[in-house]
Amino acid sequence: MFDSLGQLGSAFVGFMNPHSLFNVLWATFLGIVIGALPGLTATMGVALLTTLTFSMPHNEAIMVLICIYVGAIYGGSRSAILLNIPGTPASAASTLDGYPLARKGMAGRAMGISTSGSWLGTLFGILCLALFTPVLSEWALSFQSFEFFWIAVFGVVVAGTLAGGDPLKGYLAGFLGLFIATIGQEPYYNYQRYAFGFTDLAGGIGLLPALVGAYGVAEVMSAMRGPAAKAVSSTIDSVVPRIADVLKYWKTIFRSGAIGVWIGILPGLGEDAAAWSSYAAARRASKEKEEFGKGSIEGLMAAETGEASSVPGAIIPVLTLALPGSAPSAVLMAAMMIHGLNPGPNLALESPQFFYQIIAMLVIADMSKLIFGFVLVRPLIKILLVPRERLMPIVFVLCLVGAYSITSRVFDIYVMLVFGLIGFVMRELKFNMAPLILGLVLGDLLEKNLTRGLVLSGGSLVPFFTRPVCAILAALTVVSIVWSIPGVSDRVKRLFSRAGST
Amino acid sequence: MASNEQPFGHEQPLPARFDLWIAAVFFVIGATAALLAYRMPTFVDQKGEIYTAPGLVPGFYGVVIVLLSIWLAVRAMRQGALRAGAEPGQAQTIANPVSHRLALAVALALLFVVFLLGHMPFWLSAAIFVAAFTGIFEWQAGEPWPTRARRLGEAIVLGLVTGVLVSLVFERFFYVRLP
Repeated sequence: MFDSLGQLGSAFVGFMNPHSLFNVLWATFLGIVIGALPGLTATMGVALLTTLTFSMPHNEAIMVLICIYVGAIYGGSRSAILLNIPGTPASAASTLDGYPLARKGMAGRAMGISTSGSWLGTLFGILCLALFTPVLSEWALSFQSFEFFWIAVFGVVVAGTLAGGDPLKGYLAGFLGLFIATIGQEPYYNYQRYAFGFTDLAGGIGLLPALVGAYGVAEVMSAMRGPAAKAVSSTIDSVVPRIADVLKYWKTIFRSGAIGVWIGILPGLGEDAAAWSSYAAARRASKEKEEFGKGSIEGLMAAETGEASSVPGAIIPVLTLALPGSAPSAVLMAAMMIHGLNPGPNLALESPQFFYQIIAMLVIADMSKLIFGFVLVRPLIKILLVPRERLMPIVFVLCLVGAYSITSRVFDIYVMLVFGLIGFVMRELKFNMAPLILGLVLGDLLEKNLTRGLVLSGGSLVPFFTRPVCAILAALTVVSIVWSIPGVSDRVKRLFSRAGST
Repeated sequence: MASNEQPFGHEQPLPARFDLWIAAVFFVIGATAALLAYRMPTFVDQKGEIYTAPGLVPGFYGVVIVLLSIWLAVRAMRQGALRAGAEPGQAQTIANPVSHRLALAVALALLFVVFLLGHMPFWLSAAIFVAAFTGIFEWQAGEPWPTRARRLGEAIVLGLVTGVLVSLVFERFFYVRLP
């Protein structure tokens, strides 16, 4: 106990220097700006900054990325409240009550609720991360390749089922991501798969150029296609959160925090699902149901707390199982791997201090977000009004620098462009991008664990189905697929309701 | 269900005919992946095991993509994708993704990557791209020349500031190599 507190203390002390604090401030600020600007998302921000912080020491680079992640998820509420347009998909639920509040002349109060809800949500999530990660890590230490194979399959399939939209298209996107991850030299015989004699393709598709393309370039394309948004409210009342609001809705805060963490842990669902689920749960339990959608303080508080608590929630499976809980955390996991860290249960053995550093990073990012929540209101309104014709070419230049910076290959710029096009077309065709990202990130782990498992078992598939955790994960994967078949879930619900009524 | 109760922001589904085309594209991708994987060497003759064959995993993914695309195609056909004049109303609700603005943005980005990048210092190519992009998109027909000149001037300043700042910050602060 005291040893853990001592390690946590030393992690905090490690970041209490001018250089680290400067990085925290600019990264959180940049994250809030990225989140606030409609069209730019947390995933794009984390992917872009992963490439640009490549030369930093790993703990500094990961801290920058966590600040971007935390800041961007919070920043999305600004445009949700002021423009009625969610800055990130995670803030979509905040528009329902944030914008009506702003129209009633309470934009400041809405931003205060957003700040307090988001701050408390992230703190709740951090507490859960601190409590559950060591337990899960210890449990996962007994896992072998068989279990990790199923964890990766389960992640991709569940992301396809639950991440929103058509599950069938989710599976297609997930398996496309897994397939793309196999392009290039394979590890056993150095055979060049799908390279067609091109040396660059033999080196594989760079994960980060692909992610920067699928999120950054695709978002630039989407933004340039649509009409520009106009700010509605420029008169801002006090943004200081009211203690009474927090005290009155403490049950909503805890409920939303718990829902957010749980949805964060589930693979690929992400912050938008957390916000919607928290909002729906708050509405069901509320005594002021009729206020929801018309400027409900409770509704806004629930959405903000839920989305913010899902950020640490999504990091829990990254640290324990190497399974990202959301698209931004998938990129964060990729960044950890690029920096030589080994996400998963072995992380606690190989870099025990890193777990405490992550907690310290999240707390510092959350505090920094709170400070910016008070002081950044009016400058942010000005940033929100920057025309996209001026902003998007700059974003494209940054994407280009980001794609090139990791390996200095011009080929990566073309990868970025191609994935930008793929990402744009897939979005237009109503594909959810989270399964594709999970497929790309987990592809390598899945293949290595499958092959390693087969080598260990002498080519037998039996251990993949008979080991207890494998059997559970395999069953859950099958149930997840069957559940998504039209009519199956309705029939099961009808069956249960009939059984309940008799 | 009211729109504000939609879980996870579900949207209106695409017409079934679109899904049939998507299924066809994925079928081709999956079948090609599986076929090429089948043709890959197994290295069994070099005492390799069949389960370490390079084509095993991508071949499996290819087969799964084929099966999923067949599932999507069957579903689309059951929803009336092959019926003549099916869903005319729904088809009109799909926004046309290829707008003039989008085509122009893509053309400018490609010109930047293909013709400017690598042919001059990065700061200059970035400055030209940003200035041209902003200048062209903010160009309004019938605008008085003084306003137009001011907008163009702002676009050039924005381009120069972006080019110089990006080069300085990323080369000096992040130690990143620029293209």
